[in-house]
Amino acid sequence: MNRLLRAISRLLVVVAGVVVAVFFLLRIVPGDPARMILGERATPEAVEQLRDQLGLNESLSQQFAAFVARLFTHGDTGISLVTGESSRGLILERAPISLGLVGVSLLFALSIAIPLALLAARRHNRLPDHIIRVLTNIGVGMPIVWSGVLLIALFAVQLGWLPAGGIGKGPGEPFRSLVLPGIAVAIGLAPVLIRSLRAQLIEVQTAEWVTTLRAAGVAEWRITWRHVLRGAALPTLTLLGVSTAYLVGGTFVVERVFALNGMGTLLFDSISTRDFPVVQGITLLSALAVVLITAVADLLGATLDPRIRRSQPRAVS
Amino acid sequence: MTNERPRLRRALAAIAATAAIAVTLAACGSSGSDPTNGSGGAAGEPVAGGTLVFGRTAAVNDLNLHTQIAANNAFAIDKIFEPLVSFDESGEIIPWLADYAESDDELTYTFTLRNGLMFSDGNPVTADDVVFSLETHQAVADSPLPLTAPIESIEAASETEVVITLDEPYTPFLSELSNFSNGVLPADFGGKSEAEFFENPIGTGPFVLNEWDKAGDISFTKNENYWQEGKPYLDALEYRYIADDTQLRQQLAAGQLDAIDIVPAANAAEIEADSSLRLSQTEGWSAEQVFFNTERAEFADVKVRRAIAMALDREGITQATTFGTAETASALLPPSIQYSAADDDIALPYDVAAAQAELAGSDFPDGFEFSLMVPSGNTQRAQIAQAIQEQLSEIGITVNIEQLEIATFRERFFAYDFDAMINNGQSDAPDPNGFITFQADPEGFSQSYWTHYTNDTVTALMEAGRVTPNGDERAEIYLDIQKQLAQDAPYIPLFYPANLKATTSNVAGFTVLPNGSVRFADTWRVDASA
Repeated sequence: MNRLLRAISRLLVVVAGVVVAVFFLLRIVPGDPARMILGERATPEAVEQLRDQLGLNESLSQQFAAFVARLFTHGDTGISLVTGESSRGLILERAPISLGLVGVSLLFALSIAIPLALLAARRHNRLPDHIIRVLTNIGVGMPIVWSGVLLIALFAVQLGWLPAGGIGKGPGEPFRSLVLPGIAVAIGLAPVLIRSLRAQLIEVQTAEWVTTLRAAGVAEWRITWRHVLRGAALPTLTLLGVSTAYLVGGTFVVERVFALNGMGTLLFDSISTRDFPVVQGITLLSALAVVLITAVADLLGATLDPRIRRSQPRAVS
Repeated sequence: MTNERPRLRRALAAIAATAAIAVTLAACGSSGSDPTNGSGGAAGEPVAGGTLVFGRTAAVNDLNLHTQIAANNAFAIDKIFEPLVSFDESGEIIPWLADYAESDDELTYTFTLRNGLMFSDGNPVTADDVVFSLETHQAVADSPLPLTAPIESIEAASETEVVITLDEPYTPFLSELSNFSNGVLPADFGGKSEAEFFENPIGTGPFVLNEWDKAGDISFTKNENYWQEGKPYLDALEYRYIADDTQLRQQLAAGQLDAIDIVPAANAAEIEADSSLRLSQTEGWSAEQVFFNTERAEFADVKVRRAIAMALDREGITQATTFGTAETASALLPPSIQYSAADDDIALPYDVAAAQAELAGSDFPDGFEFSLMVPSGNTQRAQIAQAIQEQLSEIGITVNIEQLEIATFRERFFAYDFDAMINNGQSDAPDPNGFITFQADPEGFSQSYWTHYTNDTVTALMEAGRVTPNGDERAEIYLDIQKQLAQDAPYIPLFYPANLKATTSNVAGFTVLPNGSVRFADTWRVDASA
């Protein structure tokens, strides 16, 4: 219980830190939202009038107080300066696309990582292991934007199998639209998972208790699935929690490459137009998500692994 | 407590990472793309029906015709609202919602509305609607596309006749009136509040708003009551928001889009080579330029500016950075603007020896160092900057290129906090007055495009140009202005960018106006089943 309370208080500190940091950082960076909305040829009077209207001429502390008040009373980070709509509404409208992409990416990453890690561990230091090591190095080194562009060029433009970008309408279309972006994220994420899982598998499969199982005549597939994989899954789960930040960042970039109108695209746009409330909303939400998932992974790890529960956690990654 | 430390570090890392994402994104910024446009379609008889999906790099966030000017909103607004007069592809003023007659003293303009003209909701357009629309626009204090003409009165002479009287002659009047900001809407906003009205606007334009995501896509349906018989051909028009121009081309190639709003000059050839696509390349109303802040000591010296103008190989820069899609600038006004001196050979010639001599006679004979500001994410401008850097090193001037994210870039030049910058001058109408005023009026808010340039001769000519009737005398005035600007070189026009857009081969009648807007009323799908 103590652990849970501490986790929650840590979470609150992080989120509060993000809220404050983003609020002030955005306002330190040069660039005027009113000017971005009205364009280069608007008169200074028009810009000034819009600044008044948007409340940008109030002092920073007043703006911050109003922001915090609204956050607690409405659960919203403010009215978008650009569209005049609630930022919460704008963000929630786009959340399904981003969540869908995270889900699809995870699915692909795991379905690439688990079989390859198993293969590499079983053929430890033999050809398959070497090939997989080379592949993971390539995957890690490949910028997500680049792999995205390659995938589009091949599967969308050349072969015409899948959409080049955007979210299609009709049954099954949204999923089809997420396949290439999901693979692009998975190519970056899977290698990290493969490395960790492979190392754990090798450690577990050479453990004495596994040798004992073998000696007792337990079938090899049963050892792999019931015992080895389970033993190695835990650290990988924790690693997955830690990778959430990568996953969120990765999907945001990939949204841009594949013209998916999700939270990432909205974030890019809002930053370039200095739409403060929307940027704050998205960063707040992503920070919450990252912190929550990391905390859940930690807690889960502690619950499942007696070593962590009893004493300090071992370094897992 | 021992296990708290890594956790805390991780927590701080999470804060730092989130903040870093925000800041990095701010730094890499948007690929500042101002829409430009392109060409006509294939031949054949127009076919009615179908939907056209048009990809653009910015979303539509406001449809108020009186307060908006930026292309993202402007080219949606002009599908819904139309002015009394308009201009064609070559920039000629043409009657639109009304026919007009001008009195001999050039003070009275009588507009007669087309027979049976209706709003998209089926209500008739009356002279009262026109008076309300123009007066409402006049009352908007900071309209970015204002009616600056000295208007004495706007009156409904009958149900279908509007008389506009001026205090004194004002030659650019019709040109100004052709801006979409003078579009006609129902009197009293059809009984709604202004804010409500612009959420679901009613106009006379070829298209009617259907669905609208202010940070995303917008779609229109055909205006069944449109005044041009048989138009628009399309049943529906969708603007798909796709921030990245690479994605635009990929989706066009994959057949997900029918047309795209922007093709970078570097990719024009690749579109042209693709038999399933059509490149649309048309003349625009803009000029890419180097601007000097004449409040800096070096650039206050006209000899320095002239030396730089002569040291730049504009022809070479144009070829290298626009891949032959643009015309090298030889005067401020693009050829598609009335009275352009682009064919008069008035620019200072490219001559490095003359440039060196000019600099030797200035207050900075040994050269100097300055910073050239360009918006980041714009490959073409970065390349121009590099060419300038290289060419000016020949005459002993060191250029430091400063790439700034667009919001920062704007903030800097509005504050006159720059030495020199690369930017783009443009017009919204075919008359030269707007372009010249924005770039040479020391009293205007733009202070001669943020250069602080003042020349009393130019100012006097500019004022004369507004009241002199069209003809040889007015032509002479604008020639003199352009000559003086070329000699003083407060800015150096480099080239006139073309409007570059693309469609699939299924699209015809893709008519692009010089301001970069597509006249979708004229567009059809050749594959629409009749």
